[in-house]
Parts: sequence; structure tokens; C-alpha cells
Amino acid sequence: MANNSSNEKRPGFIRRIWNGFWSPSGVLSLGFLLIAGFLGGVMAWGGFHWALEETNTEQFCTSCHSMTKNWDEYTETIHYNNHSGVRATCPDCHVPHEWQYKVKAKIMASKDLYHEIIGTIDTDEKYEDHRLKMATSVWTKMKTTDSRECRNCHSFEYMDFTIQETRAAADHQKALDEGKTCIDCHQGIAHGLPADYLEQYKLIAEGIEAAK
Amino acid sequence: MLDILGTIAGNILSLPGIFGLALGMMTRNLLLAAIFGAVIGVIETYIFAGFDFSQAEPLELTIAICVGVVAGCVGRAIRVRGATV
Repeated sequence: MANNSSNEKRPGFIRRIWNGFWSPSGVLSLGFLLIAGFLGGVMAWGGFHWALEETNTEQFCTSCHSMTKNWDEYTETIHYNNHSGVRATCPDCHVPHEWQYKVKAKIMASKDLYHEIIGTIDTDEKYEDHRLKMATSVWTKMKTTDSRECRNCHSFEYMDFTIQETRAAADHQKALDEGKTCIDCHQGIAHGLPADYLEQYKLIAEGIEAAK
Repeated sequence: MLDILGTIAGNILSLPGIFGLALGMMTRNLLLAAIFGAVIGVIETYIFAGFDFSQAEPLELTIAICVGVVAGCVGRAIRVRGATV
């Protein structure tokens, strides 16, 4: 019997770690494991969340060369500079607040790294060539989500039409009555517009309505 | 493609993935674990649709349920492998 056990082949390194992982602890109490697991969970989740938020800053977004033109256009708009000093930075418009949609946006943004590396929009000419495609992508998302990111700050319900310009007040009340969404009128609110943008936006809106 | 991958990742790190795993660890019954996960997937989609099912995207609902079912089954496997009760 003893001879048999001594002849047993010693498990490999990975197998020993696997077996050890699933074996009951002989030296640690349940309380210790629970507290350590809780603390480890808090640290892991806190670290993950912190890292995610670090990618949610204007500095991070504009740290790529490809973002230079976007940034220059944005600095000319009211969302960058205005009388009150309240600003909407890149993530305010492009990253949803809701956790699940935020993670989805972050995963999708991984393609931006790829395009930064291969230089898809690293010159003004290339940028202009891709402007319509990029705008279409954002408009589609905005239209589909009822301008979710705009509505993190703006709300028809709390607009005081009496202190808006006459045309703006009339258009906002009309939009409210007709169930329109912010991007239906405010394309190009933060970046330059591509040529023939109205035709393209009309196609997007019709496509989304048809899909409903 | 990225849209679907992002939705899957969002679900794994959200209620279906985490709560589904936790509920799966509460049973040794595979079917029950899968049902727990699926229910969490439905609940999460309902919550994110603003408590209005008409606003829920069918694709998002499907992915949430699938992720919930898988997480529940993984939780059940952890229970079977790592507990004697």
C-alpha cells in the first residue's frame, strides 16, 4: 500500500494549484476568509472603477494625436466656453452614465486605439474623409437612445421658455409637442458638420423609424 | 460586432453576471441555477428600460438572459466543486 502511494506520479504545477484552490482551508477560519474576500473584493472593484474613471477624462480622450482636430473644433463651441463656466467634456456627451451602457461604450472605444495606431484620421484630409462616417455613428446612437447623454444635463420639462430666444423657445416647444429628440436639430453642436449632413441625418432618422 | 461584445461585457459586469453567479452558488440544481440567472437577466433589462418593457431592445434582453444563465450555471459549478453542502 505504502509502496503504491510512493509510486504515484506527482501532479503538475497547474494541477496542484487547481487542487489547492478547491481544497478546504486547514489554517484559515471562515470569518477570516469572508473578511479577506470582502476586502479583496472592495479593493479589486475600487481599483477597476478608478481605472475606468481615469479613462473618462478630457485629458485622457485628447491624449491621442487623432483627437487633435476634434478637440480644436470642440473648443470653438458653447460646450467648451460659455458665460456660466459649466462645461460638457468629451465623456459627458460620449459616455453614458448608466453602468451597463458605460461598459459597452468602453468596450466599443477599444477600436479607437486601433485606429490611432494605424492612423485612420491622423491628417486633416483623412479626418474629412471619415467625418461623415463618424458623425453618422454618433447621430445613430443619439437618435436611438433619445439623446440620452444630452438629457443628463438638459431636460425639456425644466426649460423656461420665457427666457429663451423667441426662435429657440418656439422650436423647443414644437419639439416637445412632436416628440423630437435633441440630435434631431442639434447636429454639429460640438464638432464640425460633414457636407450634405441633413440628407444623411434624414436617412438615419427614417431608418430608425422604419425599424420600430 | 463591437456592439454585441460591449453588451455582453456590460452584462457580465452588471446584474446578470455578478448576481447571477451569486444566485447560482446558492443551489446545486443546474436547472434552478439557470432559471435564477435568466430571471436576473430579465429583471436587469426591465430596470435599464426604465421599467417599461416596450423600451427594451430584444437583442439586449436576449444577451442579458444568456449571460445570466451562463453565470448561474458557473455559480452552480462553483457550489458543486467548492462546497460539501
